[in-house]
Amino acid sequence: MSQFEKMTARQRKWMFYLLAIFVLGAGFTPYPRIFLGLLLGSIVSFYNLYLLQKKIVDFTDAAANKTPTRGIGTVSRFAAAALAIIIALRMEENFHIIAVLIGLMTSYLVIMIDFALYNIKHSSKKEG
Amino acid sequence: MGALAAAIAVGLGALGAGVGNGLIVSRTVEGIARQPELKGQLQTTMFIGVGLVEAMPIIAVVIALMVM
Repeated sequence: MSQFEKMTARQRKWMFYLLAIFVLGAGFTPYPRIFLGLLLGSIVSFYNLYLLQKKIVDFTDAAANKTPTRGIGTVSRFAAAALAIIIALRMEENFHIIAVLIGLMTSYLVIMIDFALYNIKHSSKKEG
Repeated sequence: MGALAAAIAVGLGALGAGVGNGLIVSRTVEGIARQPELKGQLQTTMFIGVGLVEAMPIIAVVIALMVM
């Protein structure tokens, strides 16, 4: 398993944990609107993360094999984020719009925190 | 006026993301073409770079849809 595959597996695992927490929050707390917004945002964010991982693997494989390739899916990710916001705007009684926005940023937080923890772990291993 | 504001927000956000992604992707392809054995490491760097670059235009899309 390459370094990239390990990283993607870790990120998916953390996203699943967060989704589970948001589902529990939507079901058992007195703030279902906020947690449903977070859930909608993080589902779309997870889709964006999956798409980014898949497109980067396809793109770099094509670059290594010198075969033609298509883009890295930027427009698809923007469109997915726009869809989430449109759903939240249409059903404002069910989804909190700021929570959807925070949910959309979940995968970026996961990427940054995972990368920081990985770097700290490996730099301490090198020193020790 | 709301539509104009939305168009400017998304347009400028996409412009920045386009330039940033272009720089990242061009350097990655160059690196992989020179040293294909470093593909895994370059994939990780490209993934994190593209991820961070795209966060800001996604916020721009969201804000544009909210002001429209």
